[in-house]
Amino acid sequence: MASGFFTDTTLCIGCKACEVACKQWNELPADGFAFTGDSYDNTGALGGTTWRHVAFIESTPDAAGAPPTMNRWVMMSDVCKHCTNAGCMEACPTGAIIRNEFEDVFIQPDVCNGCGYCVPSCPFGVVDLIDHQVIKPRFASDGRTNDNALQSHGGVAGKCTLCYDRQKVGLVPACAKACPTDSIQFGDVDELKARARKRVETLQARGVDASLYGVDEKTSVGDLNAFFLLTGPPAAYNLPERPVLPSTRQPAGYASAALAVAGLAMIGLAIFRRESA
Amino acid sequence: MPGLGTSFGRGGATTFVQDLVNSDCILIEGSNFAECHPVAFRFVMEAKERGAKIIHVDPRFTRTSAVADVYAPIRSGSDIVFLGALINWLLANERYFREYVVAFTNASYIVREEFQDTEDLDGMFSGFIDPDEQTSDGLDRSSVASMGNDPQKAPPGTYDTSSWQFETDEVPRFDGNGTVKVPKRDETLAHPRCVINIMRRHFARYTPEMVEEACGTPRETFLEVANLLADNSGRERTTAFAYAVGWTQHTVGVQYIRTASILQLLLGNIGRPGGGIMALRGHANIQGATDIPTLYDTMPGYLPMPSALRNEQTLAEYLKSATKPTGWWANTPKYVVSLLKAYYGEQATKENDFAFEYLPQISGDHSTLPTQVAMKDGEIKGYFVIGMNPAASGFNAELARAAMDRLEWMVNIDAYETETASFWRREGVDPTTIGTEVFFLPASTILEKEGTMVNTNRLLQWHDKAVDAPGDTRSDLYLFHQLGLRLKALYADSTDPKDRGIQAMTWDYPHEDPHERALGEPSARKVLMEINGYRVEPGKPGYDCPQVAAFTELADDGSTAAGGWIYSGVYPDKQTNRARNRKGDDWTSLDWGFAWPANRRMLYNRASADPDGKPWSQRKTYMQWDVQQKKWTGPDIPDFPATKSPHEPAKAGASGVDAHSGADPFIMQLDGLGALFVPGQLKDGPLPVHYEPMESVVANPLYGQQSNPTLREWDRDDNPYNGRENPAYPYVLTTYRLTEQSGIMTRYVPWLAELQPSLFAEIDPDLAVEKSIRNGDWVTISTALGAIEARALVSGRMKPLRIGKGKDRRLIHQIGVPYNYGSLGYATGDSIGNLIPLALDPNVSIHEAKTLSCTIRVGRRTSGLNERIDAAVPADQVTDFGASRPHGRDEAPV
Amino acid sequence: MNELRDLSPDASARGASAGNGVLAPLPETYYDRPLLKKPHWEWEVITYLFLGGIMGGSGLLIAITDEKKDPELSRNLRYFTFALAATCPLILVKHLGRPERFLHMLRIFKWRSAMSMGVWGLIAFSAPVTAGAIGQAARDGLIPRWLRWLHPRPLTDPLTAVLGAFIGSYTGVLLSATALPLWGIGKRHIPTFSACSGIAGACAANSLILALTGGSEASIKKLERFELVASLAELALLLDFKRHAGSIGDPMFAGARGAKLRRNTEIGGIILPALFTLLPIHARWKTVVSSALTLIGGYVLRETLIEAGKNSADDPRAASRQPE
Repeated sequence: MASGFFTDTTLCIGCKACEVACKQWNELPADGFAFTGDSYDNTGALGGTTWRHVAFIESTPDAAGAPPTMNRWVMMSDVCKHCTNAGCMEACPTGAIIRNEFEDVFIQPDVCNGCGYCVPSCPFGVVDLIDHQVIKPRFASDGRTNDNALQSHGGVAGKCTLCYDRQKVGLVPACAKACPTDSIQFGDVDELKARARKRVETLQARGVDASLYGVDEKTSVGDLNAFFLLTGPPAAYNLPERPVLPSTRQPAGYASAALAVAGLAMIGLAIFRRESA
Repeated sequence: MPGLGTSFGRGGATTFVQDLVNSDCILIEGSNFAECHPVAFRFVMEAKERGAKIIHVDPRFTRTSAVADVYAPIRSGSDIVFLGALINWLLANERYFREYVVAFTNASYIVREEFQDTEDLDGMFSGFIDPDEQTSDGLDRSSVASMGNDPQKAPPGTYDTSSWQFETDEVPRFDGNGTVKVPKRDETLAHPRCVINIMRRHFARYTPEMVEEACGTPRETFLEVANLLADNSGRERTTAFAYAVGWTQHTVGVQYIRTASILQLLLGNIGRPGGGIMALRGHANIQGATDIPTLYDTMPGYLPMPSALRNEQTLAEYLKSATKPTGWWANTPKYVVSLLKAYYGEQATKENDFAFEYLPQISGDHSTLPTQVAMKDGEIKGYFVIGMNPAASGFNAELARAAMDRLEWMVNIDAYETETASFWRREGVDPTTIGTEVFFLPASTILEKEGTMVNTNRLLQWHDKAVDAPGDTRSDLYLFHQLGLRLKALYADSTDPKDRGIQAMTWDYPHEDPHERALGEPSARKVLMEINGYRVEPGKPGYDCPQVAAFTELADDGSTAAGGWIYSGVYPDKQTNRARNRKGDDWTSLDWGFAWPANRRMLYNRASADPDGKPWSQRKTYMQWDVQQKKWTGPDIPDFPATKSPHEPAKAGASGVDAHSGADPFIMQLDGLGALFVPGQLKDGPLPVHYEPMESVVANPLYGQQSNPTLREWDRDDNPYNGRENPAYPYVLTTYRLTEQSGIMTRYVPWLAELQPSLFAEIDPDLAVEKSIRNGDWVTISTALGAIEARALVSGRMKPLRIGKGKDRRLIHQIGVPYNYGSLGYATGDSIGNLIPLALDPNVSIHEAKTLSCTIRVGRRTSGLNERIDAAVPADQVTDFGASRPHGRDEAPV
Repeated sequence: MNELRDLSPDASARGASAGNGVLAPLPETYYDRPLLKKPHWEWEVITYLFLGGIMGGSGLLIAITDEKKDPELSRNLRYFTFALAATCPLILVKHLGRPERFLHMLRIFKWRSAMSMGVWGLIAFSAPVTAGAIGQAARDGLIPRWLRWLHPRPLTDPLTAVLGAFIGSYTGVLLSATALPLWGIGKRHIPTFSACSGIAGACAANSLILALTGGSEASIKKLERFELVASLAELALLLDFKRHAGSIGDPMFAGARGAKLRRNTEIGGIILPALFTLLPIHARWKTVVSSALTLIGGYVLRETLIEAGKNSADDPRAASRQPE
């Protein structure tokens, strides 16, 4: 049975309990304290030490000359998609990234050697290396530093584990547990998809422009074990409209290069061997 | 609290959050429900999924608005116009639930002829005592704590409420012994002075057009809300209201609640499933903090504190004013005597008036803000600050800090070293000039101690201790217990009568667990057992005596003791701590925790059945009269005598609830009815009136009287006001809280600090352009009191509103700033309390923090914390130091 | 309730509510934030790409050159390739987040991971290359002569060529097998011009060595001719890549970076050396200058490719519809 998330953005109230529960359970450090001015999103994106991230999208209607009038504020809890065909897993040369018994994509932190190839290989920009970060409290004159459990994970890649450790003992992932409105639903992926399809129908009947992202997909990435219900184009949520599994580009590359090198080799042989000294 | 208390009988939410799933419509106003109560908000989302319409009325478009079906923008501080217009609309269009209103409210009561309304006196009621008049006995009555009403002693700047009373009839007593006065009624609602018609006249100027003019809410939106409320109330459908401090933190805060209470009574939603008023209390134990109170003027269970101003030298005199002849408060003596027995044990006997004279008496308003002012003036020597941080999150925070400089000593009990604990080394201050001796006692956090929390559902939930606190840290219970023990030892040999209370108080709560005993921790279990109450057995400590099972078992003869009568039933026998129960279900969950009173989840639930005891409709069934079993049945505990038939007639002249009929649902009220018109318990009027806030940017569009005539203010140069319509401060400033932060607690948590790392100000794009402010720029916001700097968050969620009519029509900008910052932690920022001068609601002394005026400029704060743009009120214009001055009639702006 | 409302200035100023207006469309990007993550590849990776390309080209040259016709060159090639094969892995190990775990690369063999293939390819490549260096050293008398039997040339030379071809081109495949738009869209071009550049660089490096050590003119001439062919192929592919990538190619071909690429690689690194080769100037200094220019051009090409690729990760519009 494949476990995953159905994140229904129409139920999200942007409370960020998911982001905090994830950090607390996994003992992840804060990433810095910087005001972005991007609505209520001051953490910006998923990263090596942010495995749930809540996005805030404000929008105003297009009325030329009129003061902007708010009538939409969309919130969404982003997470690793645990793709059916995972770009990070394809790329990983050490076998650190595996698909576990719950069919989720998991990085074994004791195997990863931080080559960082998974980082640009994710079509969704999820995974990143964990910086050897130490957070200094701004006020302490004794230079007290904030020691995090993840100090030992410095230099390796980090992303959502779908709470592998919690699942193994029959618990629900921390973010799903903390979400007060059940915007994040956890369970068997097929069941979640059935539920999500029904939800889309219900919302569309109410006049909401709802669609599923990561279900019944025809892309090379395939369906996402952690999929979403959106009410707008994916790009607004910082999701790709058309993700591609990067490893599928390799045959074309090898073939082209082989052809060219073969040709050059022929010419080279002619230059070096056919002429007399 | 008194808004709900005077309308229905108890000062607390009338329902429980889980019941919101049954609502057909939920009006959220004065609250940012989704952001400030995200976990409870799940029930609103569930209601929405079941088809409920969610309405959010707020100056800002927030995370609550984002999921609401209808969002209505409103000028901060104008809610009484909005709600009053809803009342007017319901009455004018006959859309109120007439049967409910006639049967369950005082709509039919006839008010005395002498009564004059705001329509007659341009925003005032009859009976106002001009502050310039002197009192005859020379007593300082400028700060009266009592909520009781004694017209002879009304001090200057308040109302003499005798003209607000009802006309009465004399009817024979039920037992034939003479007659008794009862209010006169006209159940046809035709009499021109019956309450409902007085209301028609009172609210007549609160029209949809006035809403647009005063609130800036479009007329169409207002009408949409009105129709939604009316369509979703009545027999078949119910609407719930949810509010929080967006309504209460105003100088007319209590009247905001009163307006909402009137609305819900007219709509017939109180006591009904999916109805009610959900007062969303702040933190996880704020309800508990008023039940077993940290309030200066009540004793546990909302018994009034003895007061030197009411001449209550003996128990009998005290009980005379505290006990009500009818309604549940007729039982007051039982609760008071039981409380005294709990306090003083065997030293409280019938002979010595149960040691009543050991209790201290209040002599004025000792609430926190007037006390802060007195502290600043050097009148207070010592200060215990427990789990509170006035230096960062207080009002007129600079005054609070300066006040601390004048103390001789301070004891700070907290889990964190807050700005208050470190006030003596704050920015701009030389510690060598401060003489205060500061003690910091580290306190356990919730996981490091056992006890109960009481949340906004009035629900007691026990929590166990998970880990020992580090080092010398101890629970608050330990610290106070130790303080008591040491004071007892110090006073053991005293012969001074004022020390007898300390000497006599029972103070033994030995812990059952040897490990806890070794730490010195007293037993919270034993404390809860005592709060529940027990039957006194001579020679035995309370925890060895048999528990009472309910407050109906408490007596006034000294045979019972109870530390907090409203909680009786939580510990009905020694083996059963109902606060530990954890069996929940899909609705009332009676086996999860214990709700007061008597585990009732929804208050006033008698009103869910009609006068005959049958549910108003099949769809909205809650409690009903079972004719066979002759008792009230349903998913909840009846908030009514369990076996009292709906057809039982009222016994005129009887005491307690016997004076009520079987169809009078509000058992705490004198007459058992919901009060549309409150004839005297509230200082600012029997009906709500729209008054502008102290610092308003507009003139009151409805009346000549600008602000609440009874509000409390301090005219001193360390508390300057912007004044009204001051062109130097043309923008409305409103304050709020963020989901991600609370205060010092969260600013030290990295995962929370990074979510909202900096103080910011939400500014509408128009204002940003006008002031050359770009998103992310530093801005400085100033009032006459001070200045703060914040990052600009320019957003279309803030929108300017068009206020006024005709040629006075203009655009008003509102700026929103969150409350959660201070100088310490990972996420820091200026304290917005630096901008908020003290101006209080007259009934509960709550501060006005939700509507202020200000100005803004781009750039960082240039000077210290008190950059002032305009000169403050000159010293020679300051009158009383320390004492608050009643506001009086409208005066010229500063 | 989606009917159009009056959005005149006055109406909007009054504030439309969420429930009764046209729902505003969402913005096109998320605050223009990057949609993808860029790799943490700095000078180590750029240098490896550069040296690795040359290393692969040299491996090819080892098989192509005739020992009898160009003995000096042949000898140089064996030592040169070995030196690179010994150094490159060290650079790669250094750039790991956890260098002490470099051996974890050997836990699996995953042909769908270009990096896994690259690791194994490097290891495989270093076998015949080391054998070649040992054999050469033995024949040169630097080590016992019997060790030359470790170097069976008919076996190792073809291996060196094939694996060298792989080494020279796999890094291009590795780049395009990421999500970054610039690299993705170059899935055919990048491996190919990388290989060509590697061959050109190998020629340039070895002609430089010969020129500086007073080596055979004839060998130098052959190298320069071969370099010309490879470079021109490289240039043609670069320009076609620019056409093919369109605006996605801007981080590489436009602006300051594009100008640097033009200056140092296209013109300085290919056209100028080509002119040098074609013009009838015969002098050592010409070879030295020309080779140096080619090498600089090769380095700048890799640097531009990496930096531009990282830049393209920043563009959410380009990253939204990823190239197939």
